[in-house]
Parts: sequence; structure tokens; C-alpha cells
Amino acid sequence: MTQPRFRAARMTAASLAIGAMLLTGCTANVAKTNTSEAGANAGAFLTIPREDMGTFVQNFNPFAPTVNPMVQQSIYESLLIFNPAKGDTVPWLATEWKAAEDGKSVTFTLRDGVKWSDGQPFVADDVAYTFELQKKIKGGFEYLDTVTAEGNKVTFNFNKPWSPALYDVGQITILPKHIWSALPDPEKDANAKPVGTGPYTEVDSFQAQSFVLKKNPNYWQPEKQKIAGIKMLAFAGNDGANLAAANGDVDWAPQYIPNIEKTFVSKDKEHRQYWFPATGAMINWQLNTTKAPFNDVDVRKALSMAVDREQVTKIGMSGYAKPADCTGLSGNYETWKNTQVKDNCTWTNHDVQKANELLDKAGYAKGADGKRTLKDGKPFEFKISVGATSSDWLSVANVISQNLAEVGVTTKVESPDWAAVVAGYETGDFDSGIVWSANDPSPYKYFNTSMGTGTVKPVGTKTFDNYHRFGDTTADALLADFAAEADLSKQKDIANKLQEEYNDVAPLVPLFSGPEWGAFNDTRFTGWPTEANPYATLSVRSPTTVLVLTTLEPRK
Amino acid sequence: MRFILRRLGFYLIAFWASITLNFLLPRFMPGDPVSRMFARSQDRMQPEQIEALRKLLGVDDRPLWAQYIDYMHNIFTGQMGVSISRFPTPVTEVISSQIGWTLLLGGTALVIAAVVGNLLGILAAWRRGGAIDSALPPVLVFIGSFPYFWLAMGALYLFGVVLGWFPIRHAFTDGLEPAFTWEFIGDVGAHLVLPALTIVLVSIGGWMLGMRNTMIATNSEDYITMAEAKGLRPGRIMLRYAARNAMLPSVTSFGMGLGFVVGGALLTEVVFAYPGVGYQLLNAVQGLDYPLMQGLFLTITAAVLLANFLVDILYVRLDPRVRSN
Repeated sequence: MTQPRFRAARMTAASLAIGAMLLTGCTANVAKTNTSEAGANAGAFLTIPREDMGTFVQNFNPFAPTVNPMVQQSIYESLLIFNPAKGDTVPWLATEWKAAEDGKSVTFTLRDGVKWSDGQPFVADDVAYTFELQKKIKGGFEYLDTVTAEGNKVTFNFNKPWSPALYDVGQITILPKHIWSALPDPEKDANAKPVGTGPYTEVDSFQAQSFVLKKNPNYWQPEKQKIAGIKMLAFAGNDGANLAAANGDVDWAPQYIPNIEKTFVSKDKEHRQYWFPATGAMINWQLNTTKAPFNDVDVRKALSMAVDREQVTKIGMSGYAKPADCTGLSGNYETWKNTQVKDNCTWTNHDVQKANELLDKAGYAKGADGKRTLKDGKPFEFKISVGATSSDWLSVANVISQNLAEVGVTTKVESPDWAAVVAGYETGDFDSGIVWSANDPSPYKYFNTSMGTGTVKPVGTKTFDNYHRFGDTTADALLADFAAEADLSKQKDIANKLQEEYNDVAPLVPLFSGPEWGAFNDTRFTGWPTEANPYATLSVRSPTTVLVLTTLEPRK
Repeated sequence: MRFILRRLGFYLIAFWASITLNFLLPRFMPGDPVSRMFARSQDRMQPEQIEALRKLLGVDDRPLWAQYIDYMHNIFTGQMGVSISRFPTPVTEVISSQIGWTLLLGGTALVIAAVVGNLLGILAAWRRGGAIDSALPPVLVFIGSFPYFWLAMGALYLFGVVLGWFPIRHAFTDGLEPAFTWEFIGDVGAHLVLPALTIVLVSIGGWMLGMRNTMIATNSEDYITMAEAKGLRPGRIMLRYAARNAMLPSVTSFGMGLGFVVGGALLTEVVFAYPGVGYQLLNAVQGLDYPLMQGLFLTITAAVLLANFLVDILYVRLDPRVRSN
């Protein structure tokens, strides 16, 4: 874009730039300028900021820990897509799937006519190979014995009945065998020119500050590739990305924008909208149950009742999050919730009087100074740890700390660097902390990591889930039943019982359903998901992102 | 010559000490890169994958001394390894593709601030109590004491967003191919104005005041009175007699400043989304990306030491007293 207002600046500053050319070692090339005629939306790129990568490197390897944006959304696709906003599952590279009676396998039927972006056909062997590679490079899938490909069917065989597998394997993005099997070190290859089945696969004008993905010439639903391409912009933080969003430079703003009504929407009410469905992970206050008094269920429930979740979500999360109920399940699992438990909820409601009564009854008496003491006579005091950079969670912790003071419990909010906080969680050397939780299509993992004994490690041994180290044998039996059950309605019955158990033992203190941030500007593209039309969330990093990419169209 | 050799020896020891610290510090930080990554991914990563990832990234549990030997070996053979946060991109590639922008930004700002600041200092001291001397220092000190982040955001908002005079992000217009054309160079220049200007604004006051104060001391020296008595032109006295001698501290500062260019532009890069290594360094530290952190620290250390060594040599030329010692 040659904008006249830059011209004066250009003349004076031109000489300064020559050095950059030498230093960055760029190749001489004829500069391409985008013709920016009015109404040329049809040729425009869908522009999206990436707020946590100051620069991009040309690495499109999906095994990379910090994978480039859109690699698993628009370049590679998965067999099915679970949409948490609506609670439905969309068939994608597979048209249908069927779990075996014994729950020990699941068979997917692949879609006909799907091609890789290099024109090669997409075959069942690609799926089998992807899992072989995935297991080799990234590990996991311990339950997965073999993957067999036959015609247009792929069967995943498990070493035990394992129903949570459906979404686990169904949502892994599939790679082309003919490309990846030829690489000597697939995990170390930059995969600079990716070949995928997705709608936008062709990497173009790659720079450290931005890159473009253009249309896959062989896409299986060409009628849905209505935008010319996707342009990603690199930002070293939310502020820059928010400025770009406020300024109308980006079409999609998936990052957290404070005070969004004023800073974003009010600038162009006609075209700008946001939607924060509560489909993120449940955010919990986890109490280290290996320590007294947190091993006492009454204490956990009393502390939970002392917390004013309305205040927590209003002050800490700017009113964007939804308070938790006694099922412990986030908005992601709305269809799984046990209404009995939810409606008769006690311990996640704010009730200072009951909290006091429960603590008195449990034997943690209030002294003359209004402060409670533990059974061994020491003051009832402990720490709440949160990473220093998470300012929203930090204020959540501060609200909790004030709430607890009302029932005579003294807490200190400790906020070192996240590394130190997490190191404490991992080894069990902490009192309590604000922690995210597992968020899958099925609630199995959430319950398994919040109260399955299988995930409990002794203090001192590193663990990466169940930081609060709580296990319950009743839950174990239910979890085993759940995993072995292939029928969805029977799964729901078991999930109901799991919620009753959760309600009884209160393994941790659920706070609120994390919101999935997302805002858009429909000046150039229309067809965005909204609360009224929740065909996907507005996240750009979830499996549902591809649904948005194949629905949007340029405004005429 | 002996002086230079002695300095060189000193720099080698300083270099060894700094790369050793560089090796030790990240390893004393709690946690390791993989669990760090896991925590940051907040559920986008499976716990079962951690072991595999550890192996893949070469995060090892070998004793420190074994890692140290490897580390030293790698430094002297120029192998910086593979970045963990940007795996599998080699550290050298991550740094080399971005450091040019940082050097351009930091270098431009440093040169402008030093040259203009020193000239203003010379003038202010020469016309003591004049317009420049009385008006400029308080203004510059005032601006310089603003929190940088705030100043940069303010400038960005005012000149970029509201007035629209300058582009508000990145090193050049997105979609433009880098090329040696006036159009591209001009575009880079336009994108450089705001970030460089804000750095200049906060640093220029220091240069000016430093120079002014040494100049005032120099101006009262006998040889200045002598030169005046001889009837030399004031311009010649100011620049050749007074400024030349008053320059010495500024030369030292310039050498130091040169070294800090790489790390110093961090906030600027964050505010203006400038594609340099500053934010990369912050990210590497937060993600415990040892190889990238070490690569960047090594670059900065080497730059600081090299710049100071050059300043030392320059000193020998500027100040005869150094030679006689």
C-alpha cells in the first residue's frame, strides 16, 4: 500500500533504512504492492493477529511445541470436529464412525474424493501413518494398540475398552504419508511448504512479521473457499494486537480485550461484535489435599462457600466468565450436566453463615480476634499461588483472599513467575493455587484428573495433572465403567453418578468456566459464528476454527 | 601495544565469566522448559507427551559439568543448537532472521541520540545560560523520566492512530517484498520513525546533560583561556579544544550503549510489534529456552565486549594519557 501520508516521512527516513537491507540480508526483488481498490473484498485476505508470537519462523511442523498459527486449523484437518458451543460433532475427513460392542475399537469411514493440496488422494493409510508418527514423536495414546487401514475404513484397536478415545483420535490432524514418510527426521523438519487437506495451505510472502496462507488448489469442498487467503500478523503482546483490532486493521480478534464494549465495539457498532461463550476449561482453586486441613472435605466445602463467585467473575474476569456449580463441569459440558446436582447445589454458592457453621462444626474454632486456628493450635493461614503475569487470575486470588478473611481464614496471595508456581504444583510443594483443568469433548478426563486415584502421585514425584493430589475409589469404579461404555446414553448415566460423587467429596474448588475470547469486524467478511448461530466458537486455535474459515465470505 | 594486549586478556576473562554465568543462570531457575511449555499450553498438551518431548528437545538430566563441557564446545564451534520454543528451528536461524531489525532500530536511535545530544550539550555549555541551556535540559529530563512504555504507547496513539502520520506496527508494510528499491527503503524508514524517535526522546537528555557538564568543566581550563587569548575563532575553540576533550566520557557511554542495543529495544519492539530479537529474548527467558537464551546472551555479551574493546582502542587515539600509563 502506498499511502500518501507516509511520503514525507519516507523521504527523510529513507537513508536510515539502507542499513536494514544489508543486515537482514534480503534478496533484491521487485516490490509487490497490493492494489487496494474500494470494495475489493473478494481479493482481500482474512487478517488475524497472533498476540503471543513477536515474530514468525518458517516452520510449519505440527509437532513443533510452538506451532505456527493455523497449521492445525487450516492446513491439516481431523476426522471429526467437536463444537463445544453447540455440543455437537461435525463429521469432517470421516463421514461416519462406529464403536465396537466391546468398546475395544472404533472404525471411521473416510470421506470420498478428498485430495492433498499436491493433488495426491487422501487414503486410509495416511490416517494409520499419522498415528504411528504421532505416537513415536509425541507419545501418549497408551491405550492404542494398532491402527489398521482397509479400503476407505480405518480401525483403531485398543488394549482395553476405552470410549474416551473417539474424540482423542478423532481430533488429531492427519498428515500425508507420501510426504512425511520420505523425511529422514520428521520431527526436526521445518516443513516449510506444507501439504495438507485443509482449505488454506499455500504459504505465501513469509516474513518474520506476517505471512499469508492461500487457497488449497485441490480442496475437497471448493465451494466453501470463499476468501482469497488468510493473513497472520505477529504481535509481542495483547496491547499491539488490541490496538490493531481497535483500529480496524484485523478482521478477527481472538485475544483478550479489556473493556471490550468501549475499546472495540463502540468504534463501529454496526460491524463489530464479540462473543465469549463459557466453553473454556473450568478454572479451579486447587487445595493441596496432602496437607491438613485441606484433606478434610468439610474444610474444602466451607472454603468454597466462603468464595463469592459473582464477585470473582465480576472483578477478576471483568464479568466475562460464568460461575461454577456443584457438578464442577464447565460450559463446555452443558449437555452432560446432572440437573439434580446442579439444581440442589450448596457448596459452590456464596454463603458466609454456612461456611462459618461448617468450619465451627469441623473443629476449626474462631478465636477472640475473629481468626480461626487449626486443630494443632496453629493459626489457619495458607498461601494462594498464581503466576505473576496472569493479572486476571491474580485479582481472582485477591478476591478469594478477601472473601476468606470474612470467615476468619488468613491467606496470602503469592505471585512469583509462572515457572516457580508450576514447579511447586508439579512436586506438590504448595498450599493452594488457581489452576486450569482438562477440557475435552467428553468429561472423562476432567473427572479422572480431579478425583481419579490413577492420577495421584506422591508428594515429591512430579505430576502434570491432579496437582491437588486427590483420589477417590468410588470415582475410580465409575470412571472405569465410563471408559468401557460405548453407548452415549449409558455414558451419561455414569457421568451423572460421577457428578454426584464429585458433589459429595468436593475434590477441589471449582470457580468459573473460562470464557473463549473472540471478537470480529464484519466490514470485509460475513458469516461469523454468534450466540444466535453457534456453529463454532470464535477461537482461532480450536478444532472448530476450520468451520469458520469455510463459512466466511467476502462482503459484497 | 602492551596496553591493548592487556585489555584483550581482560576481555577474554570477562567473556569466559559471562558465558559461564549464561550457562548457569537459566539452569538455576525453577522448572524445566518442557513442564514450562506444558503449563503455558494450559491443557492443549497431553501429560503423556511430556517424556517424549523431553527426549526430543534434548532436555537432559546429565550432570552439570557434562552439559558445561558440551556447551563450551558448542560455543567455540559456533553450534548454538536448536531453539526449544521454536523447535526445530536452529538458534542461529532464529537470531539471524531478526537481529538485523533490532540493530537497525537500536543503532539508528543510539547514533541519533548520541550525535544530537552531544551537539546540544556542547552548544548549551558554550552558551551557558542561553536559550538552549536554560530551556532544553528540563524539558528533556522531563520527557526522559516518563516510563518508556507509556511514552511509546502515547506517541503511537497520537502520531499513528489519531493523526495517522506514521504506520503503527511492524518494520514495513505487510505484503511488501523486501527489496533494494526506494519504495521499500522508504517504507522501512517510515516504519522506523516512531520507534526510533521514542528511544531518542528518552535517552537524549542523558547525552546532553553529560556532555554539557563535562564541557563546562573543560571550559574553565587554562588552555581554553589561552586559546581565547590567542584570538582563535570561537567555533574552533569550542569543537577542537573544548569538545574534543570533553568527549571522552561520551565515547565510553557510546561503547556501552552499542552493546545494549540488542537487549535495549525490547519494550520498543513490544509496543510497535517490531520484528526484532528483543521480545524473543523475553520469550526465551520465560519459556526456559536455554539454547535461544544462550544464543542471544552470547550475542549481547560479545557485542558489549567488542564495543568496549573498540572504545579502548579509540581511547588510545583520543587520550594520550592512556598510552603513558
